[in-house]
Amino acid sequence: MAATYLSKIWNRRSLIRTFAINDLKIRYRNSVLGFFWSVLEPLLMLSVLYIIFTNVVKSDIPYYPLYLLLGLIMWNMLTRATSMSLHSILGRGGIITKIYFPREIPAISTCITASIMMLLELVVFSIFIVVFQFVPPSTMALLPIILIIQFILVLGLSLPLSVLNVYFRDVQYIWALLVHAGFFLMPIIYRAEIFPEKLQTLLSLIPMTRILDMAHDVTLYNIIPSATDWAYIIASSLAILFVGYLIFKRFEARVGEEL
Amino acid sequence: MDANAIEFENVTKSFRIHHEKINSVFEHVSNIFNRQNQFERLTVLNNVSFTVKQGEMFGIIGRNGVGKTTLLRLIANIFRADKGIVRTSGSIIPLIQLGAGFEPDLTTRDNIILYGVILGFSRKEITEKVEDILKFAELEKFADIKIKNFSSGMYSRLAFSTAIQVDPDILLVDEVLAVGDESFKQKSLEAFMSFRKKVRTILYVSHSLESIKELCDRALLLHEGRIQSIGPPAAVVDAYMKILPSYPDHKKTGVMRL
Repeated sequence: MAATYLSKIWNRRSLIRTFAINDLKIRYRNSVLGFFWSVLEPLLMLSVLYIIFTNVVKSDIPYYPLYLLLGLIMWNMLTRATSMSLHSILGRGGIITKIYFPREIPAISTCITASIMMLLELVVFSIFIVVFQFVPPSTMALLPIILIIQFILVLGLSLPLSVLNVYFRDVQYIWALLVHAGFFLMPIIYRAEIFPEKLQTLLSLIPMTRILDMAHDVTLYNIIPSATDWAYIIASSLAILFVGYLIFKRFEARVGEEL
Repeated sequence: MDANAIEFENVTKSFRIHHEKINSVFEHVSNIFNRQNQFERLTVLNNVSFTVKQGEMFGIIGRNGVGKTTLLRLIANIFRADKGIVRTSGSIIPLIQLGAGFEPDLTTRDNIILYGVILGFSRKEITEKVEDILKFAELEKFADIKIKNFSSGMYSRLAFSTAIQVDPDILLVDEVLAVGDESFKQKSLEAFMSFRKKVRTILYVSHSLESIKELCDRALLLHEGRIQSIGPPAAVVDAYMKILPSYPDHKKTGVMRL
């Protein structure tokens, strides 16, 4: 089952790539600096946030600027992928009502686009690493694995969102609200320690919270996450992908009629 | 040679017609309390069965709203039947229709690549065909221009040219030739002919009854959700002319379309 499904998607990799390329092209259309924006934009945004948060929020977190930037970059990936996927089917209504292709593809390509943009931001992150003369610990080699698990999680959210927004057009507003709330509940600008203990326990159940904590640990603090942590993020991300895909399948059939 | 390209077996397709379109979570929730989930079922195709042979050019006629496009969309796998089975042989099937789904913010060239890739080609394969497609569509001059300023005729020309160049097994043509100018119409007809020589199947929806008679091997008349008549185009067109007077609003226009 899973194998035939994966091969079906693999066969359409050309389409996934084309959607991703087009998304990027449209994003940087008509801009004088063109593709430079992809590096310049995060650089400027991160600089602004850095100045604000290091001066306003005087944090005692070690390597706070890098802590902040890494969290922002990873959270950005989730926000971009999911908010773009909300429109990935709706915005292609014209072509979806004319030629059949697997409806999973818009959400998948959106997640890939968001990942590419995240990689560009990580290039910016490495510039900051050099600027702050930070020597990354060897555990940083684990970061890519965490990012891959994050990709699975984000795909599990993007797939159902891409179809649900066709049926219920206010899903995008509800989701925007959740993402805003998430930004302040996640360990991005501060650590979970500032919350009351009960809330902390509750928050640590959210896979993204733990993914961010683990990413901070391996990148900045030379800490290898425990086996439980790994098991938890892998299992919960896969579970979300599974449930998300079931929801997706449930709504997929009548997408052509609802557009 | 006698293989079926398309089979419809007792196909029924209906749509929900909402009295008020409900498409938000909020309205759904408030409806649970309201208990008035108001929609009717409109049955567009009712137990329809027919087959189209490989290599046939098959015409579909009928009044507006009778389900011609729905039928094409079922073949293209864009709609799923409520009941019955739709079988098609061959690769992904494009529906060529007015205002075909292009990305307005991309150039003609990028749109051709997108369209071709959706039809199942690799980027490399379709990139090789781009020049031919631009030439056929007579849009070479506009290759690197964003498509959003195109006229509806240019859109259709592009969609038709791309589809015919990528050579699908089945082509679904919905009323697009009507917008092309004479020279393009002529070219399209030639393309149809060479397409048929390759034993490809074409489903052709048109209100131009003359072109149905001229081009098609067989035709089908849809009327009130059923097949009213199927067979040689001339006979089917005659049957259509007979039922036409029963539509008061079509008395004039229907005939004038000839």
